[in-house]
Amino acid sequence: MLNDSNALGGIAALIKPIECISPEITLESVAELFSDIAYSNVLSLPVVENGVPVGVISRYRFIDVYLKKYSRELNGKRPIRLFMSSPPLVVAHDKPLAEAAQYVASNMSFPLTEDFIITENGQYVGIGFVVDLLTAMELQMRQNTDDLNQAYSHLKSSQLALVQSEKMASLGQMVAGIAHEINTPLGYVQNNVVVGQDMFNQVGVMIAGYEKLIDNLLDENVDEEKISAQMQQVAALRANSSLVEMLQAMQGLFADTIYGVGEISELVLNLKDFSRMDTMATETVNVNECIESALNIGRNVLKKYGVEVIRDLGDLPGITCSPSQLNQVFLNLFTNAAQAMEGNGRLTIKTWHANRGIQISIADTGKGIASEHLARIFDPFFTTKPVGEGTGLGLAISHQIIQKHGGDISVESHPGSGTRFHIHLPVASSAIKPDQLLSETPHPSQHEETV
Amino acid sequence: MNKPTILLVDDEERILRSLQMLFFTGYNVRITTDAHEAIRILRDEQVHVIVSDQRMPIMQGSELLRVARETSPATMRILLTGYSDMEASIASVNEGEVFRYLLKPWNAVDVKEVVAQAAAIATSTFATQQSPIAAVIETDKQKLRILVMDNDQSTASAVEEILQHRAEVIWSQNEQHAMDILAKQDVSLVVADLTMDGKSVSYILKTVKQFNPQTQIIVLTSFNDTSRLVELINQAQIIRYLPKPIRNNILARNLEFVIERFHALGNTPALQNRQSVEAIKDPQEKQLSGSFMSMLNRLRSRSSLTQN
Repeated sequence: MLNDSNALGGIAALIKPIECISPEITLESVAELFSDIAYSNVLSLPVVENGVPVGVISRYRFIDVYLKKYSRELNGKRPIRLFMSSPPLVVAHDKPLAEAAQYVASNMSFPLTEDFIITENGQYVGIGFVVDLLTAMELQMRQNTDDLNQAYSHLKSSQLALVQSEKMASLGQMVAGIAHEINTPLGYVQNNVVVGQDMFNQVGVMIAGYEKLIDNLLDENVDEEKISAQMQQVAALRANSSLVEMLQAMQGLFADTIYGVGEISELVLNLKDFSRMDTMATETVNVNECIESALNIGRNVLKKYGVEVIRDLGDLPGITCSPSQLNQVFLNLFTNAAQAMEGNGRLTIKTWHANRGIQISIADTGKGIASEHLARIFDPFFTTKPVGEGTGLGLAISHQIIQKHGGDISVESHPGSGTRFHIHLPVASSAIKPDQLLSETPHPSQHEETV
Repeated sequence: MNKPTILLVDDEERILRSLQMLFFTGYNVRITTDAHEAIRILRDEQVHVIVSDQRMPIMQGSELLRVARETSPATMRILLTGYSDMEASIASVNEGEVFRYLLKPWNAVDVKEVVAQAAAIATSTFATQQSPIAAVIETDKQKLRILVMDNDQSTASAVEEILQHRAEVIWSQNEQHAMDILAKQDVSLVVADLTMDGKSVSYILKTVKQFNPQTQIIVLTSFNDTSRLVELINQAQIIRYLPKPIRNNILARNLEFVIERFHALGNTPALQNRQSVEAIKDPQEKQLSGSFMSMLNRLRSRSSLTQN
C-alpha cells in the first residue's frame, strides 16, 4: 500500500512555478526566454491561454525549428502557437504520486524533451520535472520497501515467538507430568529415610542398654542389685518397642526405597532420552525407541485420561533422523489423542517396514475430527481448542518435521469413532541432509519444502 | 490409653507402607488403596484422622472426604496430594472441608505434627459426644453479624437481600475499614474477596480466624491461584471458596449452610478447635498479620472489659 499522507504523497511538492507564456508570443521572444537564466534548467516552456494550458514548447523542438535556414526571418514574428506541441502533458496537483508517475511515464515522449504541466482545477500552476517525479517515486518506493521489510520482520519474530510458545506449552505439560511422576517415589523415599533414621536412633538406644548390661555382667565388682536394675531397664525398653517387628517392616521400606530411587532414575533417563536434540541432532535411530520414549514422557497425560495403550511395534531398520524432533511429533499425536478421548479410550500404535520405508499408524477411539476441519488440521494456527489453550501449531510443526525427514503424514477420521494418523518415513538416509534437520524451529508458514 | 486411629488412603501402596511406618508408634494405623474400603472402615470403626490422596482411580480424594464428612463427621480430614489443580483444591474446601491440604513430597516432621494435632482435636470431639454438624436449638443462636469485604457493593447487597433482617450486614470497601470493624466487635461471618483496591487482604482473613476460630470465612473471588487457595485452607480454614460471578441462589444456599455451621460450633472450644489454623509462613503477611493481631488484642481486651 502506498502511503499518500506525507509530503511525498501528492505531486504538489514538485511544482516549479515557472512563468507561462501566451500562445501568441513570437518565436523570437521564445528564443530570448530560452537564453534567459531564469529558464536555464527547464526543458520546455508552458503555453497557457486564459489560465488553461494549451501546449508546451520544448527547447529541443524550438532548436529544431529555429535553426532551420531562414527560419528566423520566416518564422521569427509568427506565434508560438504554430510550433508548440499540443495537447500538453497535464497532471492535476492533487494526484497521488504513483498515479501521476504512471500517467507521465506512459504518455511522455522519448527522448525526454518536455516537462509536464501541473494544474489546479484546470488552471495552470507550474511545471514539473520528470526527473523530480522519478526521484520522488524512488524515494517512496524505498520507504515502502522499508515498511514491508519491517512488517516482514515483525511477522517473522511473532511467528518465532508463537513456535516458541507452542514449544513451551508442550514442554510445560511435559514438565508438569514428569514432576508428578517423580513426586510419588520421591515422597515415600524421603519419608522412608526419615523413618529409617528414627529407627536407627531407637536401635542405638537399645544397643546402648544391652551393652551396659553386658559390661555390668562382665564386671566382677558390680553388685547384683545394679545388674538387676539394668536388666529391668532393658526389659522395659524391649517391652515398649516392637523392634523386631519394626525392623522387619523396615526391610520392606528399604526394598521400596530402592525401587523408588530406580523409578526416579528411570524418569531422569527418559527425560535425557527425550531431549537428545540438545546434543546430537541426527543419528541412526530405531523409531520404536522414539515411540517408547514419547510414551514414557506422555504416560502421565495418558493415565490422566485413562487411555489404554496397545503397541504393535514391528522390526524396523534404523533411520537417520533427529530423534528429539520425532519424539516431539509422537508426543504431540499421543497428547492430542488422549485429549480427544474423554475417558477409557484406546490408543493403538503400529509400526512396520514396507515400501522401502517405515510405516507408523497411530489410531485413537476418540471423538474424531469433523470433515470440515480435517483438511485444515495441518494448517498453522488452526485449532478447535478454546482461545489460550492451543496455539494451533502442534500439528503444523509435526507436519513440517515429517516433511523435513522426507516423509509424509496423513490423517483419516470418523467423527464419533476415532482418528488415525499415518506417518511414512523413508529408510534411505541419503535423502536427508543432516544440516537441514539441524536448522532451528521449523517454519509453520512454509508448507512446501523444496530441496 | 487407646491409641488414636488414623486411616491412610492412597493408590500407591509404597506410600501407604511408608506412612504406616511413620505413624507406627503413636497410632493404630489403617491403610487401604480402595476408597470403598475406606468408607467401610469409617462406618464401622472410630477413625480420628483420615489422610487421603486426591487423584485415585475409583474415587477422587475430595469426594471420599465429602463422604467421610457425612459418614463420620468427627473424623478430621486431611488431603495429601501431589497435584495442585484448582478444581481439586476448590472441591477439597467446599465438599471435603479439609482440615489441611498437604503437598507431596511431604516433610515427615510436619505431617506428623499435623496428624498429631488433628488426632488430639478428634479425640476431644469424640469426648464431647457432640456432633460437629448438629444443629443447635433456636434459642441458643447468637445474633449474626456479617462483614462483607469487597470493592463491589453488589456482593453486600446480595448478602443483605438473602438474609433480610436475620443479620446485621456491614459492607467494607477498603482494607482499613474492614480492620476497624473487626477491631470493634466479633463478626459471625466474613464474606470476602481476596483483593481490595488491588491489594491482597488474605492476611486479614488469616488473622481473624486466628483471633476468633468461631468466625466463618467465605471467599468469593474471581482469583485463580491454587497455591494461595491452599494457604487459605491451611492458614484461614476458609469454609467456602466460591468463584465470581456467583448466582444468588448458590450464594444463598452456601450462606445458610455456613450460618448453620457457625451456630453448631457455638461456644464449644473443642469444636472450634476443629477449624484451628496453621501459622502464617509468608514473611510479609506475617508482619501485616502481627500488627493487626496486636491491634485486635489491644482494642478488643479493652472493649470486653467495658462490656463486662
